[in-house]
Amino acid sequence: MSKIVAMAAKDIRILFRDKLGFFFTVFFPLMMAIFFGAMFASVSSGPASIPVALVDEDGTPGSERFVARLEAAGGLELERVPREQALEQVRRGRTAVMVTLRPGFGAALDNPFRGTPRVDLAVDPTQFAAAGMARGILLEAAGAELQELMGDPSRMQATTDRNSRFFRQLSPSPARDDVLSFLDLSTRISSRFEELGVGAAASGGAGGFGGPPLDIGQTEVQAERRGPTNSYATSFAQAMLWTLIGGSVSFSMSIAIERSRGTLMRLLVSPITTRHLLAAKGLACLATTLATSSALIALGIGAFGVKPTSYPLLVLALVCASVCFCGIMMALSVVGRTEQAAAGVGWGLALPFTMLGGGMVPLFLMPEWMQRLANVSPMKWTLMALEGAIWRGFTPSEMILPCAVLVAIGAVAFAFGASRLRWDTG
Amino acid sequence: MLLFDHVSKRFGDLRAVNDLSFELEAGEIFGLLGPNGAGKTTAINMAVGLLEPDEGVVRFTGEAFDRDPREAGNRQALGLAPQSLALYEEIGGADNLRFFGRLHGLGGTDLEERVAACLDFADLADVAKKAVSKYSGGMKRRLNLAVAIVHDPDLVLLDEPTVGVDPQSRNAIFDRVEQLRDEGKQVVYTTHYMEEAQRLCDRVAIIDRGRLLALDAVPALIEAHGGPGNLVVHAAAGETSHETTNPLGTLAELQERQTVEHFQYRPPDLEKVFLNLTGRALRD
Repeated sequence: MSKIVAMAAKDIRILFRDKLGFFFTVFFPLMMAIFFGAMFASVSSGPASIPVALVDEDGTPGSERFVARLEAAGGLELERVPREQALEQVRRGRTAVMVTLRPGFGAALDNPFRGTPRVDLAVDPTQFAAAGMARGILLEAAGAELQELMGDPSRMQATTDRNSRFFRQLSPSPARDDVLSFLDLSTRISSRFEELGVGAAASGGAGGFGGPPLDIGQTEVQAERRGPTNSYATSFAQAMLWTLIGGSVSFSMSIAIERSRGTLMRLLVSPITTRHLLAAKGLACLATTLATSSALIALGIGAFGVKPTSYPLLVLALVCASVCFCGIMMALSVVGRTEQAAAGVGWGLALPFTMLGGGMVPLFLMPEWMQRLANVSPMKWTLMALEGAIWRGFTPSEMILPCAVLVAIGAVAFAFGASRLRWDTG
Repeated sequence: MLLFDHVSKRFGDLRAVNDLSFELEAGEIFGLLGPNGAGKTTAINMAVGLLEPDEGVVRFTGEAFDRDPREAGNRQALGLAPQSLALYEEIGGADNLRFFGRLHGLGGTDLEERVAACLDFADLADVAKKAVSKYSGGMKRRLNLAVAIVHDPDLVLLDEPTVGVDPQSRNAIFDRVEQLRDEGKQVVYTTHYMEEAQRLCDRVAIIDRGRLLALDAVPALIEAHGGPGNLVVHAAAGETSHETTNPLGTLAELQERQTVEHFQYRPPDLEKVFLNLTGRALRD
């Protein structure tokens, strides 16, 4: 037994002497705990606010009342904008959902006998979770509106009277007569509820007439603008991101491998400069990430019907993203001195940055400070650039920001790696 | 060709190399000996341009040039075989040679001729395409040496080139090192094996705590620092050991007093020189 304890104690001592191992054993789980804790704290402290661009094409008191109800309910961060601007916001990824209240919305809301109020959603296809939550909030608000209508005898009576007047103007027919009989019956039942001192809503009469209180249509924002696409357009952009991450982590190990096998020294004493060495590593990483991500999107185009909105911009996005990840590769390669350490650091940083960049968890679920922090995540800008070229239909000027950020991150990371490599080798 | 002129290097409070001066002569094997922590690796790193001296000058010198090894282009003149094997194990021996040859500016038929020559030199032509990971330890050591000379440098630095190899491979490496000297190259040879240095080196520098303690040809070092030899005499009364610089005279004296059955004389060697100069205290 003492031998087993001695061996176990030795392993524990070695683990705690290995700073990187200690980091991943203790601090990395702590980071994860803080990350998810902060995120869940944000969600549990109240519904996460989903950014919504609202287009009120109805402009009636009914639609205004509905919007006010939505604002009061919380959960949606409403911004009233014209239709074109709203579409642009969703397309550019600044807003998850565009909600359009169609003409006639207010009238239908006030008069459930004459049809279900219609709302159209245009959704960022990467934000279906947000769209789902938005649908729930809209339905809840419409249900509450209907419940309020049916629970208010005077409003209900006014609606019934208005409908009675309308139907009486129609030519006599058995159908018209049935509807009028139903309206008369509703009026009588409503007055009976009043005599009994209870509202219609309390009696379970709310909920409309069997169907949902809101008719919600949904389209993906690209279809709204440029015609049909498919879900592979978004999934291939994500896949290319993971190719870039995988490539950079793999290459980050190459300098550690050179160091551990002794070839780094041999390279450094050959008639080349550190600049040559770094350029070669960067070129190999760039060529590999470009080739693999190009092959991936070629497969998407050829076999899965992905149609990039701009090939030149896609090439630009790929080059900038590859430059960024090659810089990151260089930084990772000098942080981890051994192969295991380089791989550990690489994946250890890739996962939280991907989460932070919205690659795993929708950004709107995160607290505000975390969403601000997401701006330093290269994954966020990579996705924006790739999606911008593949399906968001970015213009060249819209591509400037994500591409510039990617190149800047790559340059800073490369400079850090280069300076550390020089320092390492004296 | 390689000149160290009053070179010093500090790491914090530690003076790793302290006022070290020597200059290699044409066509010699120059041994650099010292206990662990003596400053050998620091000196080698300065010789190949990886470290910059705090004081003094390290230069590749010649009739027509005076070059700083820290400038990449000047390192064309040197080849290094590091103590730890520095090879790409996934590819063949020939491809390793080709890669490092290209780094040194070789190409085309020149490169192929040098690769073939180096494979012959290392006796690896038959396994040239085989992945290095499949080589034996001795084969890897020979390839490690061959890679250092693929670009035909004038100065070759060999850092413990025989560590971990069997006697056959060690002797093969000795032969190759002597071949390099015969080709007119200058070889800096570091080792902990004194018999290797004694066999191979034309001159030996012994350094300790960064300082040069002695520098000369091996026989001269032995004469100056080896002290007396050791005469072991077996007689009827038992075995006795005698330190002496005149073994025949000592033996004659002993013979007058007792009947010597047999004797053994061990002259001073480089190991004794080394211990006399650096002491017997254990080093870190």
